[in-house]
Amino acid sequence: MSAQTERAALVECADDYDAINQLYRDRHWSDGLPIVPPTVARVERMLRHARRPREEVVANVAPGFGAATVERIAVNAVLAGCDPEYMPALIAAVEAVADPEFNLQGIQATTNPVAIWVIVNGPLTREIEVNATFNCLGEGTWANATLGRALRLVLRNIGGALPGEMDRATQGQPGKYTFCCAENEAESPWEPLHVERGFARDQSTVTVVGAEGTMNMNTHAKDAVDLLRVIAETMIHPASNEYCHGGEPWLMISPEHADILKRGGLSKVDVKARLWELTKMPARHMAAKDLLRVKSSRTEELGEIGPDTLLTIAHKPDDICIMVAGGPGTHSVYVPCFGNSHAITRVVATAG
Amino acid sequence: MAKRGKAALTVCSTAFITLGRAQAAALGFAQLPIAVIQHPFGIRSRDEVRAMAEKCATEVVRLLDEDAAK
Repeated sequence: MSAQTERAALVECADDYDAINQLYRDRHWSDGLPIVPPTVARVERMLRHARRPREEVVANVAPGFGAATVERIAVNAVLAGCDPEYMPALIAAVEAVADPEFNLQGIQATTNPVAIWVIVNGPLTREIEVNATFNCLGEGTWANATLGRALRLVLRNIGGALPGEMDRATQGQPGKYTFCCAENEAESPWEPLHVERGFARDQSTVTVVGAEGTMNMNTHAKDAVDLLRVIAETMIHPASNEYCHGGEPWLMISPEHADILKRGGLSKVDVKARLWELTKMPARHMAAKDLLRVKSSRTEELGEIGPDTLLTIAHKPDDICIMVAGGPGTHSVYVPCFGNSHAITRVVATAG
Repeated sequence: MAKRGKAALTVCSTAFITLGRAQAAALGFAQLPIAVIQHPFGIRSRDEVRAMAEKCATEVVRLLDEDAAK
Protein backbone atom coordinates (compact mmCIF):
# COMPACT_ATOMS: atom_id res chain seq x y z
CA MET A 1 0.00 0.00 0.00
CA SER A 2 1.50 3.31 -1.01
CA ALA A 3 2.07 5.98 1.58
CA GLN A 4 0.04 9.15 1.50
CA THR A 5 0.41 12.40 3.39
CA GLU A 6 -3.21 13.39 3.97
CA ARG A 7 -3.74 13.87 7.69
CA ALA A 8 -6.85 13.48 9.76
CA ALA A 9 -8.68 16.81 10.00
CA LEU A 10 -8.64 18.84 13.19
CA VAL A 11 -12.10 19.93 14.25
CA GLU A 12 -12.50 22.54 16.96
CA CYS A 13 -15.33 22.12 19.41
CA ALA A 14 -16.33 23.45 22.82
CA ASP A 15 -14.55 21.62 25.63
CA ASP A 16 -17.77 20.02 26.72
CA TYR A 17 -18.57 16.32 26.63
CA ASP A 18 -22.20 16.78 25.63
CA ALA A 19 -21.32 19.26 22.88
CA ILE A 20 -18.70 16.94 21.46
CA ASN A 21 -21.10 14.01 21.42
CA GLN A 22 -23.75 16.18 19.79
CA LEU A 23 -21.24 17.05 17.05
CA TYR A 24 -20.61 13.35 16.48
CA ARG A 25 -24.34 12.65 16.33
CA ASP A 26 -24.95 15.48 13.88
CA ARG A 27 -22.16 14.36 11.58
CA HIS A 28 -22.97 10.62 11.80
CA TRP A 29 -19.48 9.88 13.09
CA SER A 30 -20.62 7.51 15.83
CA ASP A 31 -22.32 4.12 15.98
CA GLY A 32 -25.18 5.48 18.08
CA LEU A 33 -23.34 5.22 21.38
CA PRO A 34 -21.45 8.04 23.14
CA ILE A 35 -17.83 8.36 22.08
CA VAL A 36 -14.55 9.16 23.78
CA PRO A 37 -13.46 12.56 22.42
CA PRO A 38 -10.44 11.99 20.16
CA THR A 39 -8.28 14.83 21.40
CA VAL A 40 -4.83 15.29 19.90
CA ALA A 41 -3.28 13.96 23.11
CA ARG A 42 -5.36 10.80 23.08
CA VAL A 43 -4.68 10.13 19.39
CA GLU A 44 -0.95 10.68 19.89
CA ARG A 45 -0.97 8.21 22.80
CA MET A 46 -2.69 5.67 20.57
CA LEU A 47 -0.16 6.25 17.79
CA ARG A 48 2.77 5.52 20.11
CA HIS A 49 1.57 1.90 20.21
CA ALA A 50 0.86 1.54 16.50
CA ARG A 51 4.36 0.38 15.44
CA ARG A 52 3.61 1.89 12.00
CA PRO A 53 4.02 5.44 10.56
CA ARG A 54 0.95 7.58 11.12
CA GLU A 55 0.57 8.42 7.42
CA GLU A 56 0.82 4.84 6.18
CA VAL A 57 -2.30 3.63 4.39
CA VAL A 58 -3.21 0.27 5.88
CA ALA A 59 -6.15 -0.27 3.53
CA ASN A 60 -8.73 1.43 1.37
CA VAL A 61 -12.00 0.49 3.02
CA ALA A 62 -14.99 -0.46 0.85
CA PRO A 63 -17.58 0.60 -0.11
CA GLY A 64 -16.44 4.25 0.00
CA PHE A 65 -12.77 3.28 -0.31
CA GLY A 66 -11.62 5.81 2.25
CA ALA A 67 -7.92 5.61 3.06
CA ALA A 68 -7.45 3.94 6.44
CA THR A 69 -4.21 5.55 7.51
CA VAL A 70 -2.71 4.51 10.81
CA GLU A 71 -3.68 7.92 12.16
CA ARG A 72 -7.33 7.60 11.12
CA ILE A 73 -7.47 4.12 12.61
CA ALA A 74 -6.08 5.60 15.83
CA VAL A 75 -8.81 8.25 15.89
CA ASN A 76 -11.47 5.54 15.67
CA ALA A 77 -9.70 3.50 18.34
CA VAL A 78 -9.96 6.49 20.68
CA LEU A 79 -13.63 7.02 19.79
CA ALA A 80 -14.36 3.40 20.70
CA GLY A 81 -12.54 3.57 24.03
CA CYS A 82 -9.64 1.26 23.14
CA ASP A 83 -6.54 1.06 25.28
CA PRO A 84 -3.49 2.09 23.20
CA GLU A 85 -2.13 -1.44 23.50
CA TYR A 86 -4.98 -2.66 21.26
CA MET A 87 -3.75 -0.67 18.25
CA PRO A 88 -1.65 -3.39 16.58
CA ALA A 89 -4.59 -5.81 16.75
CA LEU A 90 -6.95 -3.22 15.29
CA ILE A 91 -4.54 -2.45 12.46
CA ALA A 92 -4.24 -6.17 11.68
CA ALA A 93 -8.04 -6.45 11.63
CA VAL A 94 -8.31 -3.55 9.17
CA GLU A 95 -5.69 -5.20 6.96
CA ALA A 96 -7.61 -8.47 7.14
CA VAL A 97 -11.01 -7.09 6.14
CA ALA A 98 -9.44 -5.41 3.11
CA ASP A 99 -8.17 -8.71 1.72
CA PRO A 100 -10.10 -9.30 -1.54
CA GLU A 101 -10.96 -12.84 -0.43
CA PHE A 102 -12.95 -11.36 2.46
CA ASN A 103 -15.28 -9.49 0.05
CA LEU A 104 -15.70 -6.38 2.19
CA GLN A 105 -17.61 -4.66 -0.60
CA GLY A 106 -20.29 -7.35 -0.42
CA ILE A 107 -20.32 -7.47 3.36
CA GLN A 108 -20.60 -3.71 3.81
CA ALA A 109 -23.25 -3.06 1.17
CA THR A 110 -25.48 -6.13 1.39
CA THR A 111 -29.04 -6.47 2.68
CA ASN A 112 -27.74 -9.44 4.75
CA PRO A 113 -27.27 -8.79 8.51
CA VAL A 114 -23.61 -9.85 8.33
CA ALA A 115 -21.31 -8.42 11.00
CA ILE A 116 -17.56 -8.86 11.29
CA TRP A 117 -16.46 -11.24 14.04
CA VAL A 118 -12.90 -10.68 15.22
CA ILE A 119 -11.16 -13.69 16.81
CA VAL A 120 -7.88 -13.07 18.62
CA ASN A 121 -5.30 -15.84 19.11
CA GLY A 122 -1.85 -16.13 20.62
CA PRO A 123 0.00 -14.45 23.49
CA LEU A 124 -1.64 -11.09 22.82
CA THR A 125 -4.94 -12.39 24.16
CA ARG A 126 -3.40 -12.60 27.63
CA GLU A 127 -1.42 -9.34 27.29
CA ILE A 128 -4.44 -7.21 26.44
CA GLU A 129 -6.92 -9.50 28.23
CA VAL A 130 -9.30 -10.48 25.46
CA ASN A 131 -11.99 -12.64 27.02
CA ALA A 132 -12.16 -16.24 25.77
CA THR A 133 -14.20 -17.73 28.60
CA PHE A 134 -17.39 -16.77 30.48
CA ASN A 135 -19.66 -14.50 28.40
CA CYS A 136 -16.91 -13.94 25.82
CA LEU A 137 -19.45 -12.72 23.26
CA GLY A 138 -21.35 -10.74 25.85
CA GLU A 139 -20.67 -7.53 27.67
CA GLY A 140 -18.19 -6.76 30.40
CA THR A 141 -14.69 -7.08 28.93
CA TRP A 142 -12.99 -3.89 27.81
CA ALA A 143 -10.91 -5.37 24.99
CA ASN A 144 -13.78 -7.40 23.48
CA ALA A 145 -16.14 -4.45 23.65
CA THR A 146 -13.88 -1.71 22.35
CA LEU A 147 -11.77 -3.58 19.80
CA GLY A 148 -14.85 -4.81 17.98
CA ARG A 149 -16.45 -1.40 18.27
CA ALA A 150 -13.37 0.32 16.87
CA LEU A 151 -13.41 -1.89 13.79
CA ARG A 152 -17.09 -1.05 13.24
CA LEU A 153 -16.28 2.67 13.51
CA VAL A 154 -13.50 2.26 10.92
CA LEU A 155 -16.01 0.54 8.62
CA ARG A 156 -18.47 3.43 9.06
CA ASN A 157 -16.25 6.46 9.30
CA ILE A 158 -13.56 5.47 6.81
CA GLY A 159 -15.46 2.92 4.72
CA GLY A 160 -18.58 5.07 4.59
CA ALA A 161 -21.01 2.22 5.36
CA LEU A 162 -23.83 4.20 6.96
CA PRO A 163 -27.13 2.35 7.42
CA GLY A 164 -29.68 3.23 4.77
CA GLU A 165 -26.98 4.79 2.62
CA MET A 166 -24.18 2.45 1.57
CA ASP A 167 -24.97 -0.12 4.27
CA ARG A 168 -28.16 -1.70 2.94
CA ALA A 169 -28.74 -4.24 5.75
CA THR A 170 -32.43 -5.08 6.00
CA GLN A 171 -32.26 -5.41 9.81
CA GLY A 172 -28.58 -5.77 10.71
CA GLN A 173 -27.80 -7.40 14.05
CA PRO A 174 -26.42 -6.50 17.51
CA GLY A 175 -23.00 -7.85 16.48
CA LYS A 176 -22.57 -4.76 14.34
CA TYR A 177 -21.85 -2.79 17.52
CA THR A 178 -19.06 -5.16 18.50
CA PHE A 179 -18.28 -8.84 17.83
CA CYS A 180 -14.93 -9.83 19.25
CA CYS A 181 -13.48 -12.56 21.44
CA ALA A 182 -10.41 -14.73 21.85
CA GLU A 183 -10.08 -18.46 21.45
CA ASN A 184 -9.93 -20.39 24.72
CA GLU A 185 -6.64 -22.03 23.76
CA ALA A 186 -5.92 -23.18 27.31
CA GLU A 187 -9.01 -25.37 27.41
CA SER A 188 -9.06 -26.51 23.80
CA PRO A 189 -8.07 -30.13 23.21
CA TRP A 190 -6.99 -29.25 19.68
CA GLU A 191 -4.41 -26.98 18.08
CA PRO A 192 -5.40 -23.30 18.24
CA LEU A 193 -7.17 -21.73 15.29
CA HIS A 194 -4.14 -19.69 14.20
CA VAL A 195 -1.87 -22.74 14.28
CA GLU A 196 -4.37 -24.66 12.16
CA ARG A 197 -4.26 -21.73 9.72
CA GLY A 198 -0.48 -21.87 9.37
CA PHE A 199 0.88 -19.55 12.06
CA ALA A 200 3.25 -20.29 14.91
CA ARG A 201 1.80 -20.88 18.36
CA ASP A 202 3.77 -17.95 19.78
CA GLN A 203 2.51 -15.54 17.13
CA SER A 204 -0.54 -13.43 17.80
CA THR A 205 -3.22 -13.13 15.13
CA VAL A 206 -6.63 -11.75 14.40
CA THR A 207 -9.09 -13.65 12.24
CA VAL A 208 -12.04 -11.84 10.70
CA VAL A 209 -15.25 -13.67 9.82
CA GLY A 210 -18.34 -12.46 7.94
CA ALA A 211 -20.85 -13.67 10.52
CA GLU A 212 -24.63 -13.65 10.08
CA GLY A 213 -25.29 -14.10 13.78
CA THR A 214 -25.14 -16.63 16.60
CA MET A 215 -27.33 -19.69 17.20
CA ASN A 216 -26.97 -21.26 20.62
CA MET A 217 -26.85 -25.05 20.85
CA ASN A 218 -27.61 -26.23 24.38
CA THR A 219 -27.15 -29.98 24.51
CA HIS A 220 -26.25 -32.37 27.31
CA ALA A 221 -25.18 -34.99 24.78
CA LYS A 222 -22.49 -37.18 26.34
CA ASP A 223 -21.00 -38.92 23.37
CA ALA A 224 -19.43 -37.54 20.24
CA VAL A 225 -21.79 -39.19 17.75
CA ASP A 226 -24.87 -37.83 19.48
CA LEU A 227 -23.31 -34.40 19.87
CA LEU A 228 -22.32 -34.12 16.22
CA ARG A 229 -25.79 -35.24 15.12
CA VAL A 230 -27.56 -32.43 16.96
CA ILE A 231 -25.00 -29.85 15.92
CA ALA A 232 -25.47 -30.88 12.30
CA GLU A 233 -29.24 -30.75 12.55
CA THR A 234 -28.98 -27.22 13.96
CA MET A 235 -26.78 -26.15 11.07
CA ILE A 236 -29.23 -27.43 8.45
CA HIS A 237 -31.50 -24.57 7.44
CA PRO A 238 -32.87 -23.97 3.96
CA ALA A 239 -32.99 -20.16 4.00
CA SER A 240 -29.21 -20.09 4.01
CA ASN A 241 -26.50 -18.37 2.04
CA GLU A 242 -24.24 -21.29 2.90
CA TYR A 243 -26.32 -23.88 1.06
CA CYS A 244 -27.05 -21.41 -1.70
CA HIS A 245 -23.45 -20.54 -2.51
CA GLY A 246 -21.29 -22.98 -0.52
CA GLY A 247 -20.16 -21.29 2.64
CA GLU A 248 -17.80 -21.18 5.54
CA PRO A 249 -19.95 -22.08 8.54
CA TRP A 250 -18.30 -21.50 11.91
CA LEU A 251 -18.68 -23.33 15.18
CA MET A 252 -17.70 -21.93 18.54
CA ILE A 253 -17.41 -25.15 20.50
CA SER A 254 -17.52 -24.90 24.28
CA PRO A 255 -14.64 -26.54 26.17
CA GLU A 256 -17.02 -29.20 27.55
CA HIS A 257 -18.32 -30.13 24.11
CA ALA A 258 -14.79 -30.05 22.68
CA ASP A 259 -13.73 -32.47 25.41
CA ILE A 260 -16.55 -34.87 24.48
CA LEU A 261 -15.47 -34.80 20.84
CA LYS A 262 -11.82 -35.31 21.75
CA ARG A 263 -12.67 -38.22 24.08
CA GLY A 264 -14.64 -39.66 21.16
CA GLY A 265 -11.33 -39.83 19.33
CA LEU A 266 -12.06 -36.99 16.95
CA SER A 267 -9.57 -34.45 15.69
CA LYS A 268 -10.77 -31.15 14.23
CA VAL A 269 -10.34 -32.65 10.76
CA ASP A 270 -12.55 -35.59 11.77
CA VAL A 271 -15.23 -33.27 13.16
CA LYS A 272 -15.26 -31.23 9.96
CA ALA A 273 -15.47 -34.32 7.77
CA ARG A 274 -18.35 -35.81 9.75
CA LEU A 275 -20.28 -32.55 9.92
CA TRP A 276 -19.85 -32.03 6.19
CA GLU A 277 -21.57 -35.38 5.62
CA LEU A 278 -24.21 -34.97 8.32
CA THR A 279 -25.27 -31.50 7.16
CA LYS A 280 -26.11 -32.54 3.60
CA MET A 281 -29.61 -31.27 2.87
CA PRO A 282 -32.00 -32.35 0.10
CA ALA A 283 -32.39 -29.43 -2.29
CA ARG A 284 -36.20 -29.72 -2.12
CA HIS A 285 -36.08 -28.15 1.35
CA MET A 286 -35.30 -24.81 -0.25
CA ALA A 287 -37.92 -22.45 -1.64
CA ALA A 288 -38.46 -23.02 -5.35
CA LYS A 289 -37.03 -19.60 -6.17
CA ASP A 290 -34.00 -20.22 -3.96
CA LEU A 291 -33.42 -23.53 -5.69
CA LEU A 292 -33.04 -21.58 -8.92
CA ARG A 293 -30.37 -19.47 -7.18
CA VAL A 294 -28.60 -22.64 -6.05
CA LYS A 295 -28.65 -23.98 -9.60
CA SER A 296 -27.16 -20.76 -10.86
CA SER A 297 -24.50 -20.73 -8.16
CA ARG A 298 -23.51 -24.38 -7.72
CA THR A 299 -24.29 -26.43 -10.87
CA GLU A 300 -20.65 -26.28 -11.96
CA GLU A 301 -19.62 -27.69 -8.57
CA LEU A 302 -22.40 -30.22 -7.95
CA GLY A 303 -23.59 -31.13 -11.46
CA GLU A 304 -27.27 -31.11 -12.39
CA ILE A 305 -29.27 -30.09 -9.31
CA GLY A 306 -32.75 -31.48 -8.73
CA PRO A 307 -35.04 -31.67 -5.69
CA ASP A 308 -33.28 -34.80 -4.40
CA THR A 309 -29.74 -33.50 -4.82
CA LEU A 310 -27.93 -33.43 -1.49
CA LEU A 311 -26.55 -29.92 -1.05
CA THR A 312 -23.43 -29.52 1.05
CA ILE A 313 -23.18 -26.62 3.48
CA ALA A 314 -19.66 -25.86 2.21
CA HIS A 315 -17.63 -26.69 -0.87
CA LYS A 316 -15.38 -29.02 1.12
CA PRO A 317 -15.12 -30.30 4.71
CA ASP A 318 -12.22 -28.04 5.58
CA ASP A 319 -14.38 -24.99 4.89
CA ILE A 320 -16.28 -25.77 8.09
CA CYS A 321 -14.40 -23.70 10.66
CA ILE A 322 -14.00 -24.56 14.33
CA MET A 323 -12.74 -22.62 17.31
CA VAL A 324 -13.11 -23.31 21.03
CA ALA A 325 -14.38 -20.62 23.37
CA GLY A 326 -16.58 -20.01 26.36
CA GLY A 327 -16.64 -21.00 30.01
CA PRO A 328 -18.14 -24.07 31.67
CA GLY A 329 -21.52 -25.12 30.31
CA THR A 330 -23.23 -27.24 27.70
CA HIS A 331 -23.59 -24.46 25.15
CA SER A 332 -21.87 -24.24 21.79
CA VAL A 333 -22.61 -21.71 19.09
CA TYR A 334 -23.28 -22.06 15.40
CA VAL A 335 -22.26 -18.95 13.46
CA PRO A 336 -23.76 -19.05 9.97
CA CYS A 337 -21.78 -16.99 7.53
CA PHE A 338 -22.30 -14.62 4.66
CA GLY A 339 -21.54 -17.20 1.99
CA ASN A 340 -19.52 -15.12 -0.44
CA SER A 341 -16.62 -14.50 1.91
CA HIS A 342 -13.57 -16.26 3.28
CA ALA A 343 -12.25 -15.68 6.79
CA ILE A 344 -8.86 -13.98 6.82
CA THR A 345 -6.12 -14.26 9.45
CA ARG A 346 -3.37 -11.67 9.92
CA VAL A 347 -0.41 -11.54 12.26
CA VAL A 348 -0.45 -8.78 14.86
CA ALA A 349 2.82 -6.84 15.03
CA THR A 350 3.94 -7.16 18.62
CA ALA A 351 6.96 -5.95 20.57
CA GLY A 352 10.31 -7.65 20.16
CA MET B 1 -13.85 1.87 -17.38
CA ALA B 2 -14.77 5.53 -17.09
CA LYS B 3 -11.19 6.19 -15.96
CA ARG B 4 -10.03 4.63 -19.23
CA GLY B 5 -12.34 6.90 -21.20
CA LYS B 6 -14.77 4.12 -22.05
CA ALA B 7 -18.51 4.53 -21.85
CA ALA B 8 -19.57 3.27 -18.43
CA LEU B 9 -22.86 2.82 -16.65
CA THR B 10 -24.29 0.79 -13.81
CA VAL B 11 -27.69 -0.70 -13.13
CA CYS B 12 -29.36 -0.50 -9.70
CA SER B 13 -32.74 -1.37 -8.29
CA THR B 14 -34.53 1.47 -6.52
CA ALA B 15 -33.54 -0.02 -3.13
CA PHE B 16 -29.86 0.31 -4.00
CA ILE B 17 -29.83 3.66 -5.78
CA THR B 18 -28.52 5.43 -2.66
CA LEU B 19 -25.62 2.98 -2.51
CA GLY B 20 -24.97 3.36 -6.24
CA ARG B 21 -24.87 7.15 -6.10
CA ALA B 22 -22.78 7.26 -2.92
CA GLN B 23 -20.26 4.73 -4.17
CA ALA B 24 -19.96 6.41 -7.56
CA ALA B 25 -19.24 9.69 -5.78
CA ALA B 26 -16.77 8.02 -3.42
CA LEU B 27 -14.89 6.64 -6.42
CA GLY B 28 -14.79 10.07 -8.08
CA PHE B 29 -17.58 9.58 -10.63
CA ALA B 30 -20.55 11.35 -9.13
CA GLN B 31 -22.06 11.78 -12.61
CA LEU B 32 -21.91 8.07 -13.48
CA PRO B 33 -25.11 7.21 -15.36
CA ILE B 34 -27.30 4.75 -13.46
CA ALA B 35 -30.19 2.84 -14.97
CA VAL B 36 -32.80 2.16 -12.31
CA ILE B 37 -35.11 -0.84 -11.99
CA GLN B 38 -38.11 -0.88 -9.66
CA HIS B 39 -37.47 -2.94 -6.51
CA PRO B 40 -38.35 -5.71 -5.69
CA PHE B 41 -38.16 -7.95 -8.73
CA GLY B 42 -37.40 -11.29 -7.04
CA ILE B 43 -41.14 -11.84 -6.54
CA ARG B 44 -42.14 -11.03 -10.10
CA SER B 45 -43.05 -13.56 -12.78
CA ARG B 46 -40.62 -14.40 -15.56
CA ASP B 47 -42.71 -12.41 -18.07
CA GLU B 48 -42.76 -9.38 -15.80
CA VAL B 49 -38.99 -9.59 -15.31
CA ARG B 50 -38.49 -9.85 -19.06
CA ALA B 51 -40.59 -6.72 -19.60
CA MET B 52 -38.57 -4.89 -16.93
CA ALA B 53 -35.31 -6.00 -18.54
CA GLU B 54 -36.40 -4.79 -21.97
CA LYS B 55 -37.40 -1.43 -20.55
CA CYS B 56 -34.08 -1.23 -18.71
CA ALA B 57 -32.12 -2.07 -21.86
CA THR B 58 -33.82 0.84 -23.61
CA GLU B 59 -32.90 3.09 -20.69
CA VAL B 60 -29.27 1.89 -20.82
CA VAL B 61 -29.04 2.86 -24.50
CA ARG B 62 -30.62 6.25 -23.79
CA LEU B 63 -28.22 6.99 -20.92
CA LEU B 64 -25.17 5.97 -22.92
CA ASP B 65 -26.25 8.12 -25.88
CA GLU B 66 -26.86 11.03 -23.51
CA ASP B 67 -23.45 10.54 -21.92
CA ALA B 68 -21.72 10.36 -25.32
CA ALA B 69 -23.36 13.61 -26.38
CA LYS B 70 -21.84 15.55 -23.44
